[in-house]
Amino acid sequence: MSKFQRVQNIVIGLCMLISAAVLILLPEGGCLYIMLFLAASLILRGISELIYYFTMAKYMVGGKLILFIGAVFFDFGFFTLSLSDESKLFVLAYLLGFHAFAGLVNVLRALEAKRYKSTSWRINMAQGVASILTALICMIFYRNETLLVYCYCAGMIYSAALRIYSAFRRTAVVYIQ
Amino acid sequence: MQIDFHYYATYCAAFLAGYSHEECLAICYSAQFTDCCTRTLLSTIGGPSEAATTQLQLEMMDARTDLLGLQDITRIWASFHFLPRDLKADPEKGSRIYKAKYRLICGPNGDLLVKTVNLAKDKSLQAAGIAMHVLADTWAHQYFAGTPSQVINNTDYWFFELLPAEAPGDDADSGDSKENGNTKRAFTERRITFRHNPTGKDDLDKGIYTSTVYQLEENSVMSLGHGRAGHLPDYSFMRYKYLPAWGKYGEFIKDNPSDYYKAFSQMVYALRYLRGDYETFETEHYDTEKVSPYEAEIKEILEKRQLDSCADWKAFGEKLSGCEIPDFNANSYCAEYKQAPTDDKDDTFLGGYIDAALAQKTMVTHQIYQSDNLLAGYSVEYNESRFLGIRDFIHYIENKRKKGKA
Repeated sequence: MSKFQRVQNIVIGLCMLISAAVLILLPEGGCLYIMLFLAASLILRGISELIYYFTMAKYMVGGKLILFIGAVFFDFGFFTLSLSDESKLFVLAYLLGFHAFAGLVNVLRALEAKRYKSTSWRINMAQGVASILTALICMIFYRNETLLVYCYCAGMIYSAALRIYSAFRRTAVVYIQ
Repeated sequence: MQIDFHYYATYCAAFLAGYSHEECLAICYSAQFTDCCTRTLLSTIGGPSEAATTQLQLEMMDARTDLLGLQDITRIWASFHFLPRDLKADPEKGSRIYKAKYRLICGPNGDLLVKTVNLAKDKSLQAAGIAMHVLADTWAHQYFAGTPSQVINNTDYWFFELLPAEAPGDDADSGDSKENGNTKRAFTERRITFRHNPTGKDDLDKGIYTSTVYQLEENSVMSLGHGRAGHLPDYSFMRYKYLPAWGKYGEFIKDNPSDYYKAFSQMVYALRYLRGDYETFETEHYDTEKVSPYEAEIKEILEKRQLDSCADWKAFGEKLSGCEIPDFNANSYCAEYKQAPTDDKDDTFLGGYIDAALAQKTMVTHQIYQSDNLLAGYSVEYNESRFLGIRDFIHYIENKRKKGKA
């Protein structure tokens, strides 16, 4: 992990912690802020991936993957934005779904890392399982809005802590000669 | 390439080129030291950190990948381990930054190789050793660039090892076919499994090799050089086919035994040029006169499936010279440099090495910059009245001026 990636992880982790705090303190309007923040992040990420694709990755073997990633992020960003004026329960359900999906991606990445004997699989797996469990618990208690918000916040704080922790871990590279 | 080729094989090449045992040891030590001269080592001996010719695993983990960090990485790896073949190469399509990266792809027989060998002409044995390291790596590391780049250095699952169908030499059952009197070797393909555990040992029998993890970021250090292909380019016996990221889905075959043999023959030719046997150094020239009597023996070492062929090269070298080749010890000359008074440090063995390393780094950085490519940073002619270049070269330039005045 480069220094830039470490700083990126710390910043994302801190943003998640702030979002959780906002959601706990302002349970009424907190969801809207989170949705807007999430939408902006996804759109910006999508744009940067698309720029990377059209300037460089287009000429790379397997570069289409970057195009798909960029398009998906961009699309999800606008989709998230369009949901921000829906009912709170609907917004929360979307956020939970997003959380569960991110958790599933983490689990799949952990399994792949384990297959390649990479030592980083445990942290990915822990992050993924926690995200999925949070989403599941929220689904069980979906009638209690306050509990939903707190569950979601707990999952977010846990993910943020793991992100910040991983930013301080040393990552190994294969030495080339 | 590894210590087996950079140290022992370089010794053999130097001996065949006509150098004495002691001179061969100085050359091969310098060649191998290029894989050891890190900022960490230089700081422990009080040497100039800008003379670093490689980066430690720990240094790589913390390497910055912002603009200046990338330029620093590129100066080190492109100058000593991934010498660009053609700084004016045209990939036809691509943005300016893509073309800049494409032009850093390493390969043998480029203009920069001629400049590298010429730079060592009439210089120290350390300079010759560094040039031999660079030359040898142009063969092993071809198709990869000495700058972190996913779009250039990435590889994917389409990666196959080519294994000789039968034991070489067994004509009856080898599966080899004869065409116009020439034996064509048959190969079987085996898909290579890459794993990402840096402490894991490559498993030659099962075809499991260690490589760096795929990263989505363009400038991740995981995509530096041949990291994504693991140590495959470093094994002399290895033959494989794969799709380089920049290769437009064309399948590339890498035949290391053949490339390593050419590297060895070219080293002998280059060293003979440095000794004065030839007037000029030209590309695509290989010394067959001195090497061909040992062709079978050398090829046998190159083809042998083993992670480390030090013992075989050492035995071959000792047979050639009749002298014992000591094991490589990176610290052999460190105490001499450390203990020397400041004014005399440049006269020590490592002082000579550092001077040669800075000269090589300066030359390559300047050539990259002059090709309108800023990936290695800015560079200016050092003999200007006032120094304007990047900090890396201050030591070298001051030294030059000092020597000029003397």
